[in-house]
Amino acid sequence: MTCYFGALMFVTGAALAQQPAASANALAPAPAVTAIPPPPAAQAPIVSAPEAPRIAPTLPAGSTANIGWNQPPKWSEVEQKPQYASVPGREMNVLVEPEGHWWRAVRNGPVTFYGGLVLLIVPLLILVFYAVKGSIKLHAAPTGRLIERFNSAERMSHWTMAISFVILAVTGVTTLFGKHVLLPVLGPSAYSWILAVSVPIHNFVGPLFAFSIIVAFFIFVKDNFMSGADFVWLSKFGGMLSDKEVPSGRFNGGEKVWFWLGVVLLGTLVTVSGLIMLFPNWNTARELMAQANLTHAIGAILFASMAFAHIYLGTIGTEGAYKGMREGYVDETWAKEHHALWYDDVKSGKRPGMISGVTQPANGDD
Amino acid sequence: MARMKFICDAERCIECNGCVTACKNEHEVPWGVNRRRLVTVNDGKPGERSISVACMHCTDAPCMAVCPVDCFYKTEEGVVLHDKDLCIGCGYCFYACPFGAPQFPQAGAFGLRGKMDKCTFCAGGPEENNTEAEFKKYGRNRLAEGKLPVCAEMCSTKALLAGDGEVITSIYRQRVQRRGKGEEVWGWAMAYKTAAKTAPLGAKT
Repeated sequence: MTCYFGALMFVTGAALAQQPAASANALAPAPAVTAIPPPPAAQAPIVSAPEAPRIAPTLPAGSTANIGWNQPPKWSEVEQKPQYASVPGREMNVLVEPEGHWWRAVRNGPVTFYGGLVLLIVPLLILVFYAVKGSIKLHAAPTGRLIERFNSAERMSHWTMAISFVILAVTGVTTLFGKHVLLPVLGPSAYSWILAVSVPIHNFVGPLFAFSIIVAFFIFVKDNFMSGADFVWLSKFGGMLSDKEVPSGRFNGGEKVWFWLGVVLLGTLVTVSGLIMLFPNWNTARELMAQANLTHAIGAILFASMAFAHIYLGTIGTEGAYKGMREGYVDETWAKEHHALWYDDVKSGKRPGMISGVTQPANGDD
Repeated sequence: MARMKFICDAERCIECNGCVTACKNEHEVPWGVNRRRLVTVNDGKPGERSISVACMHCTDAPCMAVCPVDCFYKTEEGVVLHDKDLCIGCGYCFYACPFGAPQFPQAGAFGLRGKMDKCTFCAGGPEENNTEAEFKKYGRNRLAEGKLPVCAEMCSTKALLAGDGEVITSIYRQRVQRRGKGEEVWGWAMAYKTAAKTAPLGAKT
């Protein structure tokens, strides 16, 4: 009986297949029916029925399907490819996306472990350096004459970037490491509340930071092109170990590396990867978001490590440096000792924008 | 204690989407959220099969491992559930899940994610069983009522099997013996043998 129905259905199906217009005419009345020959099953002996229909359809070139009728696919061959799904939405038609496993393994493994290690070791090394060498003091007495080092636009750009960076770093580090550090201490409810606040802050400050690095790039790029003196500076580590500071322009080799590798390269990496994750409505693939997440975490950890060094040298590491960025003015002695080439330029009038020789900063608050 | 699992018998599934509809109706899930979906492979070609996919309640669940607030937990029956009071809608579980199970209702502008929603194996959430609060957040807790997931119970061809892993595999084994094909159970290797995939990189939590 099964064979009989099988043969019947096959023959009917074949007849329909020979009529390409059949489906188009399906809604049209009667004529389509006449095109179908009368069921031949009555004439055909039942015994021979299985023989005839067992012809496999011709497969398109490159098809890996089994020849034959209605064999289930090998799941490993089809489950990761886009198929058909009636539920709308990106990647809803993919059965399995195994990339998540890889993302999970890298993020929970090396990124969390070594990333955490880096964020602990770098400040520790800086602390050791500070304990051994102390801060870089001025050798000569301050002259009392001031040189404008950063104008208000530069300072505003720097501090927008700096403050947003610190907020992003704190909220970001909480997101990655809080589960292992804060959660056991605070408990799930309190910690979830902290992250529920941290993440929106991170998401809103992020674009501000992105904007501020673009502005900072255009403001600071002209003084950050590498020159021969910078490579000398870098090869001698700026003279920080020998107390004989290598002469440098407005920015030294270290600052330029921070500018190009830190602000420009890592800044772009974390910005682009951050924006990919920030807008789920951009119809982004899960795999790309996972890759962006890893890029973001690794980039941000490197960025933060460099920032530790920058913040150290800009505050307790160098006498007078923080005041320079806060108020915009440095003493002539500071300029001569830390940025000799820049000092010469200002003195010889090659930098008309920079006022030299004032005894009081323009804002007069010091 | 039973270990709850799903099997979708692709030899039986007719892609009627009854499970999807039953689930949406039973749990009154928000608009845009589908805890279960149908994927049809080789659509319109010989060897066409359909699979009904939802959270598979993995043994070594990637969502649990990556959640930054640790809002997931596993019941004694192996069902992976989560606490929506803790969820911050970061989407990490969605990146990690191989089955695309976590769903997010849109919570604001720019596609901001709301709290994650996924298949609960009809087992509710951390709230008191069968309370109003539990229903609103997680849908009905049928397991607590002694019933199995509604998707499987409503399945017209009994293609979708839900329940104790040993019981449903024995049913499946009988079917395979009788029909002589379709012995590969879709998704089980991915869901219940994931340890080997992440072990080389040392991911634990």
